[in-house]
Amino acid sequence: MSSTWLLFLYKVPPRPTARRVYVWRKLKRLGAILLHDALWVLPDTPRTREQFQWLAAEIGELGGDAWLWEGQLTQSAQDETLVQQFLVQVETAYGEILAGLKRKKPDLAALSRRYQQISAEDYFHSKVGEQVRAALLSARGGGD
Amino acid sequence: MKWVTWALVGVDRMACAWLIKKFIDPKAEFLFVPAGEKSLPKGAEPFDIPGTRLSHRRGHCTFHTLLREYELKDPLLQRIAQIVDEADVVQEVTVEPVAPGLDFVCRGIRTISPDDETAFERGALIYEALYAQLALESPQ
Repeated sequence: MSSTWLLFLYKVPPRPTARRVYVWRKLKRLGAILLHDALWVLPDTPRTREQFQWLAAEIGELGGDAWLWEGQLTQSAQDETLVQQFLVQVETAYGEILAGLKRKKPDLAALSRRYQQISAEDYFHSKVGEQVRAALLSARGGGD
Repeated sequence: MKWVTWALVGVDRMACAWLIKKFIDPKAEFLFVPAGEKSLPKGAEPFDIPGTRLSHRRGHCTFHTLLREYELKDPLLQRIAQIVDEADVVQEVTVEPVAPGLDFVCRGIRTISPDDETAFERGALIYEALYAQLALESPQ
């Protein structure tokens, strides 16, 4: 069975640039993927759907214009490619946490906050996420 | 008065329903339409529906908008607005330790409730508790 994806396309006025940055950062925080510098994609869940709808309304407030579609890929093999892209995105971020843990005197509070952020965007439950979780828990010291 | 929002309520809608019933309209009656539904029942005030007056504004949650629109100045309600903002809206700056998890708990309340109305009644307990505990622990 093919998965349903949410596709998001928008335009905001070029100035002030702060607005463009604001929208872009929100999309990044949602863990959306930008396909070929054109279309933002998220897996369809009640939460992502609602967040996209709010963002579309917000873009309207900013004097822009947004389009939200739901869709299936005609070649279901591409579902897997897309899932991989989502996994690569979170695993890159998880990798930074693991690297941070290897440093001398790692900032465990900051790293675990970062882990929480990333795991909220980890739509496909990366195995690396489990490793990071275990590494953070064992780094806290003081024994079990 | 009648109020209408999207069904399958979560953190922001539960917070709004509690606020409306307790501070704005004690006789409030809530109606629900499926998410995305464009035709809303006549005579009911819509809230937390994208594109309506009482909804997200400038990156803030609807609870926040209700406080502004109904000029509710209680500092504890402002704290709850910040908490709901962080729980419901994608934020970069977070300062409320209570917020992470609240969204999840509220979605869980909806999951275990037979309908949205019951979820509102149960969700109200969370905000009642939050308000009371903030009152107890806030610096005077």
